[in-house]
Amino acid sequence: MREVFFYLFAFLSVAFALVSVTHRNVIKGGLSLLASFIALGAVYFTAGAEFIGIVQVIVYGGAIVVLYLFALMTMDLKSFGKELLRTVSLAAGGAISLFLLFSVLYAGYRFYGGSIPAAVSGAKELALPLFYRFLLPFEVVSVLLLVATVGAVAVGRREE
Amino acid sequence: MTPFDFFVLSGLLFAVGLFGVIVRRNVISLFFSLELLLNSANVLLVGFSKLHGNLFGEVFVFFVLAVAAAEAAVGLAIVVALYRYRKSVNTEDFSILRW
Repeated sequence: MREVFFYLFAFLSVAFALVSVTHRNVIKGGLSLLASFIALGAVYFTAGAEFIGIVQVIVYGGAIVVLYLFALMTMDLKSFGKELLRTVSLAAGGAISLFLLFSVLYAGYRFYGGSIPAAVSGAKELALPLFYRFLLPFEVVSVLLLVATVGAVAVGRREE
Repeated sequence: MTPFDFFVLSGLLFAVGLFGVIVRRNVISLFFSLELLLNSANVLLVGFSKLHGNLFGEVFVFFVLAVAAAEAAVGLAIVVALYRYRKSVNTEDFSILRW
C-alpha cells in the first residue's frame, strides 16, 4: 500500500515541479511549487520519515514558498514583461540536465540495494541524535538563522 | 520500495531544477528552481537514512532546511532591493557588472 502512495506522490511532485519551472506566470509557478513540496512531504510520510514530512510541509510549504509569494505581492507583476528564451540556453539546459539525470540513474542502478525497511521515525526518535550527537551543529544553525534574519532586514531596508 | 526509486525521484527533481536554473531569466523562478535542487538532495538523504536504519541522514535534512530558509530570506531581500533599484527582476537587466 505504501508503495502505491509513494509512486503516486512522487509522480505528483515531479509533475508539479515541472509546471513550476516552465510556467510563465510566477504566481502560478509558486503555487505549483507549493503543491510539489506538499507532495514531497507525503512521499516522506510513505517512506516512514514522519517528522521530516511534517517539517517539510510546515517549513517549505508554510514558510519559504509563502515568503516568495509575499515578496511577489510587493512587486508589480505587469512590469515583469515577456521572458525571451534562447534556443541555445534551452538546448544547453536540456542536455546538461538529461546528462545529470542519466548519471544519477546509472549510479542508482549500480548501487547495491535491498529494500527500504518500514520503520517510522517521529519526533521522539529524531530528538536523540539531534540533541546529543549533533548538538553543536544545531547551535551553529541557530546562529546562522539569526545572521540571516539580521542580514535580510539590513539588505531589504529602504534607505531614508 | 527500493533505493532505486529514491534515486529516480531525486534525479528527476534535480534535472527539473537544473533545467530551470539554466533556462529561466526571472530571478524568482530561479529561486524556485534552487529550492527544487535542495529538495532533491533531501530526498536521497531521507532514502539512505531509511536504508541504513540510522537517523543521521534525517538530522542532516534539518540543517539543509535551515540553510534553505536562510538562503530564501537573504536572497529575497537582495531581489527586493534590486527590484527597487532597477524596477525589474529579469537577470538580463542586471548586467551592470558585466564587462
